Amino acid sequence: MTTLVVARLSALEVSRRRAALLLVITLPFWFYLVRRDLSGQSTRALTLGIGWAVSTLTLFVVNASRGVDPRLRLTGASVTGIIAGRLLAMTGVGLLLALGYWTMVAVDQNLPHLWAAGVMMLVSALVAAPVGSLIGAILPRELDGALALLSISSVQMLADPTGLIAKLMPFWSAREVGNYAVDGGSIDLVWRGLAHAGVTWLICVLGTLAIFHWRLRLVRYPEP
Amino acid sequence: MTPRPWLHGFLDLCLLAMLRERADYGYGLSQRLAAAGVADVPGGTLYPALLRLEEQGLAVPSWGPSESGPRRKNYAITQAGLDLLAGQAGDWRRFRDGVDSLLSAVPHE
Amino acid sequence: MSDWPTAFESELLRLGLQPARARRLADETTQQAAESAAPPADVFGPAHLYARHLVAELNTPTANFPRTRYQAGPVMLSLTGVTKRYRRQTVFEGVNLTVRGGEVAAIVGANGCGKSTLLRICAGLTRPSGGAVRRTRRVGFVPQDGGTAGWLTAEEHFTLFGSAAGMVPGRARSTGAHLATRLAWRPARQQRAQQMSGGTRQKLNLVLGELHAPDLLLLDEPYQGFDQGTYVDFWQQVLAWRDAGRAVVVVTHLLHDLQNVDHVLDLGATA
Repeated sequence: MTTLVVARLSALEVSRRRAALLLVITLPFWFYLVRRDLSGQSTRALTLGIGWAVSTLTLFVVNASRGVDPRLRLTGASVTGIIAGRLLAMTGVGLLLALGYWTMVAVDQNLPHLWAAGVMMLVSALVAAPVGSLIGAILPRELDGALALLSISSVQMLADPTGLIAKLMPFWSAREVGNYAVDGGSIDLVWRGLAHAGVTWLICVLGTLAIFHWRLRLVRYPEP
Repeated sequence: MTPRPWLHGFLDLCLLAMLRERADYGYGLSQRLAAAGVADVPGGTLYPALLRLEEQGLAVPSWGPSESGPRRKNYAITQAGLDLLAGQAGDWRRFRDGVDSLLSAVPHE
Repeated sequence: MSDWPTAFESELLRLGLQPARARRLADETTQQAAESAAPPADVFGPAHLYARHLVAELNTPTANFPRTRYQAGPVMLSLTGVTKRYRRQTVFEGVNLTVRGGEVAAIVGANGCGKSTLLRICAGLTRPSGGAVRRTRRVGFVPQDGGTAGWLTAEEHFTLFGSAAGMVPGRARSTGAHLATRLAWRPARQQRAQQMSGGTRQKLNLVLGELHAPDLLLLDEPYQGFDQGTYVDFWQQVLAWRDAGRAVVVVTHLLHDLQNVDHVLDLGATA
């Protein structure tokens, strides 16, 4: 109940942040456009852009509700209900974004495994919501969080995909699935990517929940 | 004239005392207050106070004709009003004497 | 000048008086003005302001007489020897306070003496360093600022807070709209919290604090940005809560407020 209401209102909130929404949504598109001649590079950059966009929007939504959350708790909402609602909404936004860009790539590019490109964007969007909420939980200010997410995305883009650093970054899964989508090869790439995405998702969701459980804890007083 | 905040606590007391003397209507009461040198009470302060006395059963209104113009609301003090006034008057005297003694104290060397 | 009584009466109605009583008061007020042979506007000032003043006066017990005491109910909040320290710094210590249903307590003190911290402790948002707190379960908390989501409208806030309390959206919205009228506020449908004036946002804050009908209300200087009329409405509302058997704790720095309260806790004095 709370979860669904929070989800609906979070989605509304995102839809009202016109300027931020427009900037954040078009960013993957610019990434894509600059190397449109190279299917692989452009699609991978686009995917990372999706991850950055969704995680940044999630960060905004999480930060904007800082004042409201403690009061919702006092009114009777559970931490899990609040966080789940927000993640649900932002995951929905991410899925829409991924679907849109996948359609564009399907029309505009000729990839060996188009479906895997879809999985790549999907994975990026799915992981992005909890990554954004975790960063939002750790860094209270929007600017700090947005810069942190920018750093994460940049490191992910620049690091050697086979190296340890790249694997420690949250969007490695999308790169791995992307390798299959763009260059073909073993289907194991997809499975490894999905596994990495699953673990990342779990860590970020649990981390977010843990931090908010701690921050929004209420002192239990006995009744008079 | 009396500073406003002083009057705030004592307006009800003054009104009851005047009504004990004789029943009266709002405008008459405000003129008596002014004539006694207590305060020039604006209607916006006086009439709510009278209504309050009425609602608390300390004064009872009756409508009477006036020599000229519209009918008037005449207030008379009730037994509850008299009882309260008696107690409050004692409190007031003690308070006044206390303040007086403080004001008349001479500074020591 | 014939529209003064009409404006006066409609303002009385808006403030929640029974129609018959509003009509009677309007008639009497007109006659009182006639006694001094002056137009009502000259004697009483603008109609809507005098209406608010009159309603507030009628609801405030006579200052100089013992107040009609409402039966104090069960204890809703009790603090015993409550202490708060941040690292080595003692904010306050040994704070005692008991508030029952039907009572209003004020927390006063200079800036920085920990009034807001104490209120957060009462709410359970901050843990006291020492002492014992007992508190009823259903509590409403109104912070000094913040506490709303900038991108959402008043109605959406009602839905959100209602759902946290387990209310269906329709009921939450109608309850919120009803509570808003008591503060003489009609929320605009499209207006988001960030577009509201400071005073209006505080009204929203107040309504959110009492949406779930808590037994204990904790208010942190909730009238910032209120104009005089709203300020009067606010205190009327506090007294209405009290008369309904709820307990109210108000953080304030306005001494003028204290004539309406049952307990005054001076934090500056205990620290």
